Amino acid sequence: MAVGESRHTQFLRGVLDLCLLAVMEDGPAYGYEMTKRLRDRGLAIVGEGSIYPLLGRLEREGLVETYRGASNGGPPRKYYRASAEGRRALTAGVSEWRAARDAVDAVLGLVETEAAA
Amino acid sequence: MNEFVEECRREWRRLRVPDPIANEMAADLQADLDEAASEGVSAEAVLGTAAFDARSFAASWAAERGFVEPQPPSRVDGSPRRSHLLAGFAVSVVVAIVGLALASVRTGVSVVQAKPFRFASPPAAPGGKPFAIHDAGVAFPEIGLILLLVGIAGVVLSLVYWSPWVVRIHPRRRPGDR
Repeated sequence: MAVGESRHTQFLRGVLDLCLLAVMEDGPAYGYEMTKRLRDRGLAIVGEGSIYPLLGRLEREGLVETYRGASNGGPPRKYYRASAEGRRALTAGVSEWRAARDAVDAVLGLVETEAAA
Repeated sequence: MNEFVEECRREWRRLRVPDPIANEMAADLQADLDEAASEGVSAEAVLGTAAFDARSFAASWAAERGFVEPQPPSRVDGSPRRSHLLAGFAVSVVVAIVGLALASVRTGVSVVQAKPFRFASPPAAPGGKPFAIHDAGVAFPEIGLILLLVGIAGVVLSLVYWSPWVVRIHPRRRPGDR
């Protein structure tokens, strides 16, 4: 089981930046709001590390733009939205992910069929 | 302020992250944790495993934002610093020169051996009997040869470590490399 959790962490580490860019497509969001969006889509980050350093990297690389905005009753928050470069990176990244996923599925698909039988 | 956020601030201060940036990150983190707490969500659900290590979390966040100065190259790879190499090279050259000098002064040694050093008035031994200092017959040429070989070995090792070939084998790690 521990091996499975570790593998899950490794999988997520490679695509969490894409997931963040993807949830930003729903509209600008601050850190915790993105955590909630991920969770609403079934992706809890418990055990996978924090999104904050990753958001910092996306910002440094110019893949997201930020601005200060009001939140619901709370203090002003830092909102993130994908930049044009970020959207291009998301498109390219999703293509890479799908290609990798399909290639792995082609190998593991047979194993799943045998296990189900 | 949340204890976790306080610890992050201390780490950012230690890392000399500019105050405006540290304040911004602390305020955002505090606001997010407060909102999560008001919804009954734990800090771990927001921060993941980072919730248990504020210092690493803070350092990682600041580094990813580019506000932590690059650390000096790690010595973990075992490659010595340039200054150490230079010092080693210099010492090796001196040792080799001294060794060469000693190895080539056979006649000089004979002069020294002609007048072996002795105490003018030997101190009395505990038993009351005087003892004499005998000439140990120091073999300067042999010692010189050893020093010469050690010096040459040091010079060769210094040059080998200095060469670009070794740099390719032990590439320096940059911050962020995995």
